Amino acid sequence: MSKQFQFKGASDMPMIPISLGDMDWNKTGAWRAQRPFYEDKTPPCNAACPAGNDIVAFIQKIMQEDFEGAWQVIKEENPFPGVCGRVCFHPCESKCNRGNYDAPIAIHALERFVSDFVANLNQKIGKSSGPKKGKVAIIGSGPAGMSCAYHLAKLEYEVTVFESTSSTGGILRMGIPSYRLPKKVLDREISNIEALGVVIRTGVSLGQHLTYDDLKDYRAIFIATGAHRSRSLHIPGEKSKRVLSGLDLLKKINLERKLKLGDKVAIIGGGNTAIDVARSVIRLGKKVTLLYRRSREEMPAFKDEIEEALEEGVKIRYLVNPIRIGQKDGLKRLECLRMELGEKDESGRRKPVPISHSNFFVEADHVIIAAGEEVDVSFLPKGMENKEGIVLTQRDGSTGIKGVFAGGDLTSMQRTVAHAIGSGKKAALAMDCYLQGKNMEETIRRILIGEGPSLSILRYLHPEARPMNSHVVTFEELNMDYFEPSERIRESKAPLKKRVREFGEVTSTLTETMAHEEAERCFSCGTCNECENCYVFCPDASILKTENVFSHQVDYDFCKGCGICFSECPRGAISLKEEER
Amino acid sequence: MRKMEIPLSENLGHGHLACAGCGAAVSMRLTLKALGEKTVMVFPASCWSIVPGFWPYSSFRIPVIHAGFVTGGATASGVRAALDVRGDHESVVTVWAGDGGTFDIGLQALSGAAERNEDFIYICNDNEGYMNTGTQRSSATPLFAWTTTTPVMQPKENPKKDIMAIMADHHIPYAATATIAYPEDLLRKIDKAKRIRGTRFIHLLSPCPPGWRIPSELTIKISRLAVRSRVFPLYEIENGNTYTLQEESHVVPVKEYLKMQGRFSHLSDSEVEVIQKNVERSWERLLKKAEA
Repeated sequence: MSKQFQFKGASDMPMIPISLGDMDWNKTGAWRAQRPFYEDKTPPCNAACPAGNDIVAFIQKIMQEDFEGAWQVIKEENPFPGVCGRVCFHPCESKCNRGNYDAPIAIHALERFVSDFVANLNQKIGKSSGPKKGKVAIIGSGPAGMSCAYHLAKLEYEVTVFESTSSTGGILRMGIPSYRLPKKVLDREISNIEALGVVIRTGVSLGQHLTYDDLKDYRAIFIATGAHRSRSLHIPGEKSKRVLSGLDLLKKINLERKLKLGDKVAIIGGGNTAIDVARSVIRLGKKVTLLYRRSREEMPAFKDEIEEALEEGVKIRYLVNPIRIGQKDGLKRLECLRMELGEKDESGRRKPVPISHSNFFVEADHVIIAAGEEVDVSFLPKGMENKEGIVLTQRDGSTGIKGVFAGGDLTSMQRTVAHAIGSGKKAALAMDCYLQGKNMEETIRRILIGEGPSLSILRYLHPEARPMNSHVVTFEELNMDYFEPSERIRESKAPLKKRVREFGEVTSTLTETMAHEEAERCFSCGTCNECENCYVFCPDASILKTENVFSHQVDYDFCKGCGICFSECPRGAISLKEEER
Repeated sequence: MRKMEIPLSENLGHGHLACAGCGAAVSMRLTLKALGEKTVMVFPASCWSIVPGFWPYSSFRIPVIHAGFVTGGATASGVRAALDVRGDHESVVTVWAGDGGTFDIGLQALSGAAERNEDFIYICNDNEGYMNTGTQRSSATPLFAWTTTTPVMQPKENPKKDIMAIMADHHIPYAATATIAYPEDLLRKIDKAKRIRGTRFIHLLSPCPPGWRIPSELTIKISRLAVRSRVFPLYEIENGNTYTLQEESHVVPVKEYLKMQGRFSHLSDSEVEVIQKNVERSWERLLKKAEA
């Protein structure tokens, strides 16, 4: 309390009316009806990331040109930034608030940049040195299994991964062509996981070389064997010669590079596998026609992929349904029906209806069926239930058998790399809770990102780290006065002529300057990045800042609660609540 | 978005009596950051006779002299002369007057001082009315605005006086408009004024939550809309004839600015149209001056 004056009479007073003290005793905070406070909220990109990446945090690091710091942020949650930055369908970008303004941030390109930048520095994730908490086994070295292995190793378990094939990575290696995901990127990120002490035993197949009894030394098991069986079309002729499944063909190309195909190839399907097959076959110098029974709008494949396939010369025939695979003059002869779109079905897409007597024929040397993948349940232990083609698990990934967890494509119809990575992480958490006797349901509630379902392992390990209100920031809550329209960065692509001749990567990694520019476009929704608008505009100098240190604190002795800081915060990182009196 | 860099010094201390969300308090805080410690301020009667605190206290960390309503220009001339006599040529004498003390009551003293090219900065903290005494109209109150003396049944019939043109015609070395939504521009102009000798005039628009009938948290937003709608363009005049415009790339119709304020809530579409036309005409005039 500063000095207050009391005068006994006129003789006490100064000759002229001059001030003698300051007004610091006048606590104007008492006027306040509403109280501003700093509170980070959930950015929509974070909430949309199935892998649970803290996207805003890593982009802010890029903005500060701290690229290694960005990598540190990503690897807390996800060991596969190089993979995700290339192949993820980036739901984060469709939810990006900047999309309501000009164009979403190219989050995938930034994630890829961070991974590649750090790889060039030869960064490794350090091996944890702490005492081991016990042995755990993981079946399958795909994105779900390896994500689980990574987080369990960080949680100080002794992890062994069993892989049935001769190489690691599961679908990432076998199913994704190298023009989208170069093998060296995958190798790099898997070796980072191995560097943590994770042991991968390839060529060991569950059921064939390994029984459940063999695994009884392990305190918990995570099964993530994926969905590798190609779905059948149930039409005559599909088992005949020169009819292949999409996934088998991709495996052959990806693992062996040797494949004999005729000049004309017909592919049946409209999903990502169908597109991957089509673009791979084009690269082998063949003519490709894709047959899809609905229209382009209903195609489940990612939009960019369809676009690139068309650029590369893939022909797509829509509203066509093969009903029989025959043979004529040494060629496969597909009998097809034309379709039209009817009412919406349970998937929300318009259902294709055959037009009667519209039969026509498509001829090809080879026919590839890529109509989706199914789970092989034959080797699964008794007690693990499955329904409608997926293994049933609890919310935490636990199965009917104690200590056995499952995840990835095996347990979900949301078959993306990001979902698999997220489910591996969730299983790692659940296994730790199970083995350490913690309540998983309670834990999940505490570490949900936004309303979920993604989880933050950072918050599991450090409950005080990065506190964040679960409210997801909307576009309307941002203050657009502080942003100027700017163009989204474009990744450069290899020339078309080159693309169709080889399996080299189509898009290239951003340069440092490009990444920095793109990061600067980020609104940083709900996350204070110390722009200091609140400090600049406070009429009562009540945002505390000392020499270069921004405190994120309000001086409630003097804050009158006008709310300027709240409304001038560009990103919704300040909240207001009614003052209780 | 780029971070704003503004000086850390605070010469308007805590405990001052400005209303919550007061635009003028932001104006003062920013102005003092640019002026620095070696400043003597002169306050003709205005809100700022009250805001600093009551005797024997003051929330200001620089010397401030309270003066009669009419006397901003005259008092400042005297303070400057006294400092010069004492050999202090460094301290910047700054008048901080309201629009009442500038456009109406203090115009004579200001005009006299400007004609003599007295060496001080005169800042008109314009909140478009006699807000301290309960929102009476001044000659700075905009056309059709509500005040207690221009009630809704008979809103103000005359447009705002063009104080910048008046000051330009005194051919003083520097005159500029500024407002709080553009802190860097505001600081730059004060700093520029500080480095010039002679009479310098800054017309500072400070939205007033109670007088303009706006929520306290919208002060900055409305200051920005005043510029974006071209109701209050940002510009500088050197020696009364060289105009420099700080153009806003986002231009909005005046309606966007007016509709947020209770003092304009009674306006009909045709009245809004009249204001829009006036604003466009003034803008054209300003552009011509800038091109000349």
